[in-house]
Amino acid sequence: MNWRNVTTIAAKDMGILVTRRSVRLSLILLPLGVAVGLPQVAHFAGGGIPAGLLPRFLTAFLFFFAVIAVMLPVAIASYSLVGEKIERSLEPLLATPATDSEILLGKGLAAFLPPIAAIWIGGVVFMALSDRETLARLGHPYFPNAAAILILAVFVPLMAIMSVEYSVLVSARSTDVRAAQQAGILIVLPAVALYVLAEIGAISLDVATLSVVAGILAVVDVALALASRATFQREEILTRWT
Amino acid sequence: MIEIDGLTRRFGEVTAVDGLTLTIGEGEVFGLLGPNGAGKTTTVRMLACLISRTAGQARIGGLSIGDPAAARKIRSLIGLMPEEAGLFPDLSAARTLDFYGRLYQVPAALRAERTERLLTLLGLWDRRDTPVKTYSKGMRQRLALARALIHDPPVLLLDEPTANLDPEGAKTVRDFLTELRNDKRTILLNTHHLEEASRVCDRVGVLANRLIAVGSPEELRRSLWGSATILQLAEVTGPVAEAARKASSGDVAVAGNLLTVPVRDPEHDNPELVRAVVDAGGQVQFVTESVPSLEDVYLKLIGDKR
Repeated sequence: MNWRNVTTIAAKDMGILVTRRSVRLSLILLPLGVAVGLPQVAHFAGGGIPAGLLPRFLTAFLFFFAVIAVMLPVAIASYSLVGEKIERSLEPLLATPATDSEILLGKGLAAFLPPIAAIWIGGVVFMALSDRETLARLGHPYFPNAAAILILAVFVPLMAIMSVEYSVLVSARSTDVRAAQQAGILIVLPAVALYVLAEIGAISLDVATLSVVAGILAVVDVALALASRATFQREEILTRWT
Repeated sequence: MIEIDGLTRRFGEVTAVDGLTLTIGEGEVFGLLGPNGAGKTTTVRMLACLISRTAGQARIGGLSIGDPAAARKIRSLIGLMPEEAGLFPDLSAARTLDFYGRLYQVPAALRAERTERLLTLLGLWDRRDTPVKTYSKGMRQRLALARALIHDPPVLLLDEPTANLDPEGAKTVRDFLTELRNDKRTILLNTHHLEEASRVCDRVGVLANRLIAVGSPEELRRSLWGSATILQLAEVTGPVAEAARKASSGDVAVAGNLLTVPVRDPEHDNPELVRAVVDAGGQVQFVTESVPSLEDVYLKLIGDKR
């Protein structure tokens, strides 16, 4: 693996992506909106929520960042892969000495790193604002805690990786960026289901539950990595991707 | 530099390239002519290690295209210009060349130097910082050509470099190809433009899934048509035509005051022909060689194949 090729491709893709207004806006507005908006729920509805239930709500709110970690890479990876397919720019790229794995990893990093950075910044802002809103009622800062660290440091990257890999599979069969994004967004449903179940109290997002789900997610990521690697092969791209 | 032996590629039931055997020497410009679907692009993609072969073998610079370990080295030896320019619309010309130069491990100083030289040669230097999406089709083709050359490859694979260009854009690219001839690079040029092949290529091959003819444009013309001499006379009389027939190696054609006379060896046969015509009372105004165009050759070969 030539890491220089990987970083060159990732830097080029990130440079192009940040010039797109829709990508820039979604990277800024979505994490920031959640980071600022959800603590306001605690502020305005906090009085109606018993102090004992507040931690459950706050953890579920933080888990929403894991949902965003699925949504954002889909949008970016679709631009990166389907966009190149439309522009026919993959063939000259594949003709360079860069291997399929280096190209795939470079593109994956470009779709992975900006959302992760935006989500981590949003997560820190969310935790700070939530602590400010709930400190008086809980008597201590709720964040950071083990579940929060697990969500941000483990769940968010695993979700983002899953999203990127799934996007590769979807992009192979799409000729339109919007169609790829719409098909790709289906992957967000399991994450949304977990969020809703946590909000209604059907599951508890404690460290034990999160660890089990993270383990399952890691297995899914490995399976999707193998599938996307099998899909992203120059012969396949030039003869079967339509 | 390029040795191809029985190279074959099938897509399911369809044979795109069938037993192609060909050697292209170092510094040679070889044109591959053929209609759409003749297998030209498939050939280039196999040589560039982009798709696999079904059978046969090819070596570039001594490296086998079927060897996975050699693929990276072979791609370093090749500059590929695909049929579609395939550029990144949001990148400028300078950034495009910088990006590809990095992937080919060209040192930074050399990248900058080659970027300036290539963009200047191809008339893009003044627009080097403008996004490619603002370029005309001709400018994009020229940038794609510069991209293929950024690592100074000894082998160039050019797939329809002037396709869909306006005459001015096509001329700029063609002139640049003519200049590249002098660099002693080995060039495989896929083209529909027979005049372009005639002007730029040392040899051409006519591909219709199988290679049906190969040689210099001149050799192909002569092998298919032989030579003919055109005489323009003040008047073509019966005795003059008869004299020309006797001096000819084939059927003499008369059109107005023109006589087209097949000859075996123009240098040897023409003086005798002219003497015979003059002796028969003909007044010779002009003597010219009848040269079938490469287009005539191509259409005949493809027509025969069909």
